[in-house]
Amino acid sequence: MAMPQFDHSTASLPQLAETPSTAESILRGLQDAGTCIQGAYVHVPFCMHRCHYCDFFTVAGRDQWRSAYVTRLLDEATVVAQHWPGPADTLFVGGGTPTWLEPPDLARLLEGLAACSLLGKGGEWTVEANPETVTEEVAGILAGAGVNRVSLGAQSFRTEALKALERWHDPDSVPRALAFLRDAGIQDCSLDLIFAVPDGGDAVSGWTSDLKRAVSLAPTHLSCYGLTYEPGTPLRRRLESGAVTQVDQDIEAVLYATTQSVLADHGYTQYEISNWAQGDQVCDHNLNYWRNANWWPLGPSGSGHVNGTRWRNRPRLGPYLEGQGLSEIDTVEVLDADGRAGEVLMLGLRCTRGIERQKVIAATSLPMRGQQRAAAIERHLESGLLVWDDDLLRLTQAGMLLGDTVLVDLL
Amino acid sequence: MPIRNFSIIAHIDHGKSTLADRLLQATRAVSDREAREQLLDSMDLERERGITIKASAVTVSHHCDGQDYQLNFIDTPGHVDFTYEVSRALTACEGAVLVVDSTQGVEAQTVANAYLAIGSDLDLIPVVNKIDLPAADPDRVAMEIESVLGLPAEDCIYCSAKTGQGIAELLDAICRMLPDPRPATINETRALIFDSHYDEYRGVIVYVRVFDGALKIGDRIRMMGTGTTWTITELGINTPQPQKVTQIGTSEVGYLVASIKTLEDVRVGDTITLDKYPASEALPGYEEPQQMVFCDFYPATAAAESSKKSDFEALREAIEKLRLNDASFTYEVQHSEALGFGFRCGFLGLLHMEIVQERLEREGGVEIVQTAPTVTYQVLTIDDEVVEIHNPADLPDPAQIKEIREPLVKIEIICPDDNIGDMMSLCDSRRGVFQSQQFISEGRQMLVFEIPLAEIIYDFYDKLKSITRGYGTMDYEITEFRADSLAKVSILVNGAPVEALSLICHRENAEKRGRSMLLKLRKQIDRHQFEIALQAAIGGKIIARETVKAVRKNVTAKCYGGDITRKRKLLEKQKAGKKRMKSVGSVQIPQEAFLSILDQSE
Ligand SMILES: Nc1nc2c(ncn2[C@@H]2O[C@H](COP(=O)(O)OP(=O)(O)OP(=O)(O)O)[C@@H](O)[C@H]2O)c(=O)[nH]1
Ligand code: SF4
Ligand SMILES: [Mg+2]
Repeated sequence: MAMPQFDHSTASLPQLAETPSTAESILRGLQDAGTCIQGAYVHVPFCMHRCHYCDFFTVAGRDQWRSAYVTRLLDEATVVAQHWPGPADTLFVGGGTPTWLEPPDLARLLEGLAACSLLGKGGEWTVEANPETVTEEVAGILAGAGVNRVSLGAQSFRTEALKALERWHDPDSVPRALAFLRDAGIQDCSLDLIFAVPDGGDAVSGWTSDLKRAVSLAPTHLSCYGLTYEPGTPLRRRLESGAVTQVDQDIEAVLYATTQSVLADHGYTQYEISNWAQGDQVCDHNLNYWRNANWWPLGPSGSGHVNGTRWRNRPRLGPYLEGQGLSEIDTVEVLDADGRAGEVLMLGLRCTRGIERQKVIAATSLPMRGQQRAAAIERHLESGLLVWDDDLLRLTQAGMLLGDTVLVDLL
Repeated sequence: MPIRNFSIIAHIDHGKSTLADRLLQATRAVSDREAREQLLDSMDLERERGITIKASAVTVSHHCDGQDYQLNFIDTPGHVDFTYEVSRALTACEGAVLVVDSTQGVEAQTVANAYLAIGSDLDLIPVVNKIDLPAADPDRVAMEIESVLGLPAEDCIYCSAKTGQGIAELLDAICRMLPDPRPATINETRALIFDSHYDEYRGVIVYVRVFDGALKIGDRIRMMGTGTTWTITELGINTPQPQKVTQIGTSEVGYLVASIKTLEDVRVGDTITLDKYPASEALPGYEEPQQMVFCDFYPATAAAESSKKSDFEALREAIEKLRLNDASFTYEVQHSEALGFGFRCGFLGLLHMEIVQERLEREGGVEIVQTAPTVTYQVLTIDDEVVEIHNPADLPDPAQIKEIREPLVKIEIICPDDNIGDMMSLCDSRRGVFQSQQFISEGRQMLVFEIPLAEIIYDFYDKLKSITRGYGTMDYEITEFRADSLAKVSILVNGAPVEALSLICHRENAEKRGRSMLLKLRKQIDRHQFEIALQAAIGGKIIARETVKAVRKNVTAKCYGGDITRKRKLLEKQKAGKKRMKSVGSVQIPQEAFLSILDQSE
């Protein structure tokens, strides 16, 4: 997939008038404003098992509702499609584990979504999958419906790390899944990997072996995350009770540097703090988020953004299944110019490319926090966390690891 | 009508306030319907904590042996911090009811308060309380009273302040055993001020015991100590409801109102006389309490840089307002480089400090950052001048110091035999010197030590309680200031001394204290972009060193799924967290770090 050429600079898009409280009003506003939408996100919350580090909205042990859920999602998609302003560039089906749906339900969902024509021709259509759920049949269903990209939650190739993550799949299921997908015609495959897992072993050698194994499978894309102890997760509680010891941040820094060098050596280009791609096979959908583009969420817990209005769908399965049409909205936030400028910086700096000078100027000349930001940028340029690359401001190698230290000052 | 003036004294929680309630009920001062728990404890805080903080005086009457008696009695606090409240109450009385819990026995404040009363020539009526409880052992407790205090066991009155058993007998004993007040010795009026409090509408309410003559409404009065004069606009007694009267006669107790605006104008212990016919000599007074424990209060929100005036002003207002009701703590403006503007406050003890902080936060609606408490030191300079300092930061240059003196206390600890060894080693580790041991009863002893006050103000009481599993009690009194090998330990953060973290301690312990302080700091200071050196020093000599390593990683790994709002809020939280930091140079120190200095636990 090529890097999108259009500029998502939201400054040129018309603002919505009032704080909208329902998806309907957002949709209506969207049509009135003649706004285009770059992406759509569809949430499938079912998982075989709930991993203890996960803070997504997922459910395990509710498999009997999967079929009804697909029906409900398609109902929502139909309503969304009626108001859809025009074909989007990306469609992302995430979760949870979308491929944990029974094959007929999965087929029904994907075909139904295809029929709604939310995605434009040649657009990027990604589905998230766990390796053990990708069978020949599932791969065929994905490819048949038009999915052209799959993101596989491999996490690690070492049993002890998978165990520490509460992931029970067999490491060999990853190459198997890749083979099925490629045979079915889906070449664009990404692997998710997690480092700094407290598995008791030597962190550096363990992670290096994970990376080597991953690149040997030649995915077009890799996402590598340092394990995060999200508030409210069982893992976080274990950390707090002392049952789990976090990998030392000095070591985590080494792991990150190792990732950068190993992946560079194997021809992967880093384009975001945690993302690498072969050539230009970046994930356009995620880039939409970091570029502050517009996207629409379907299903509980999905988050959306249109011209500075952000919202999140209510993360409850029961009420969603009982309802109809658009998802019920849980929280809406309309940011002022200052807040939006802060977000442009917070998101844009995550990309290795950086932020265009004129956007930086816009963000630093706002009356409220402009001056503060300008001073912070100077400070971080001086301390070597930020750098100007011609007309682009970006995080340095060291800055990548201290991203939040910089971003906090730019909000 | 004969008069009996007495205080109710006891160790904390032995049942003084409950007993006072029963006395009110038995004398029909309050109806059974009105009777609620701890009538005389009127502060919210007193009711919530179930402890008495301020003494309060009431007047009731009782019929005994064919005549009516007027009983004026004062419920007092039992906690060691409020001994001064007890002693000022005692100045207004001829007798005291000494309450001892029959399930506990004689405790440290039982002894302390009893001796306070005996020292003031008061007659004591020992009461063994809580006999309704299954664990009660009144005979043993009566024997303890006899052996420790020398009051005959057979004189003890057994009662239950809960069920009312023994209360009638106690009332009769008060009338029969306590002495009549002494008659007037001069013709001029003399009244002793034993308490005062502030009322929003009427100004200061002054509690007095008239020893000679009488006070009447309209009298022009003079305070003999301060020399100020006032006109009485209201006189009254508490029954316990305030009841106005036209005069308070010889030997009687009551309150007066005289358009006095601030508590500062009224000195407890001062003598009131009439402006026109003044007495020539004041009554033996009572000494003002000494603040022994000091700490700083800072507004919790203001960062040093952006120090909003309003937070500081709000704190000042709250402190001034509280001072109206509690003249026993002191305050003065304090500026700390690390914490901005705040107040250095002096307290009678640790509980007092806790209570003041709680009242400021609750009644004043301010949030407080409190530094670790320290004691007063006397510094003898090379010019032979003695300077009192309440803050290690104020210590003069070492070259100017001849010696540093610290307050010593005599501490009495009553504990079970089994714990004597552990208590001995605790006191030993706190530079205590053993003085004596006394038998209290089978299985219990009283230990007496001389120990520096600084060593017991922080966690000593908690240690005592945990060693004795709650059975041990203690009381202390300041004996003197004495020079010792004391030194100021400065804490340096990246080379810059942080005064608010400095402490004074014995040279022998300096290295250990300095190191444990640095270890605590190291845990509390977040990693910065650079390495931070933490040092403890005496004068120019570094005695301990620790390092906070540089931050290597601080990044949100996952920022997809599109929930940008949440990610941003997490970052904003990081940012807000920074505000509650105090900057020292370019190092951000969390406010809590300033509180843990004296915590000697590892
Ligand atoms: N069972 C029983 N409980 C009692 C008796 N007297 C007091 N208590 C209880 O003992 C506790 C302490 O009583 P207080 O009257 O508050 O004691 P105090 O001596 O005034 O305490 P301070 O003012 O804090 O020193 C309360 O829970 C009372 O209810 C009694 O005779 N029998
Ligand atoms: S499979 Fe993925 S979405 Fe499901 S619980 Fe585990 S980490 Fe969360
Ligand atoms: Mg009480």
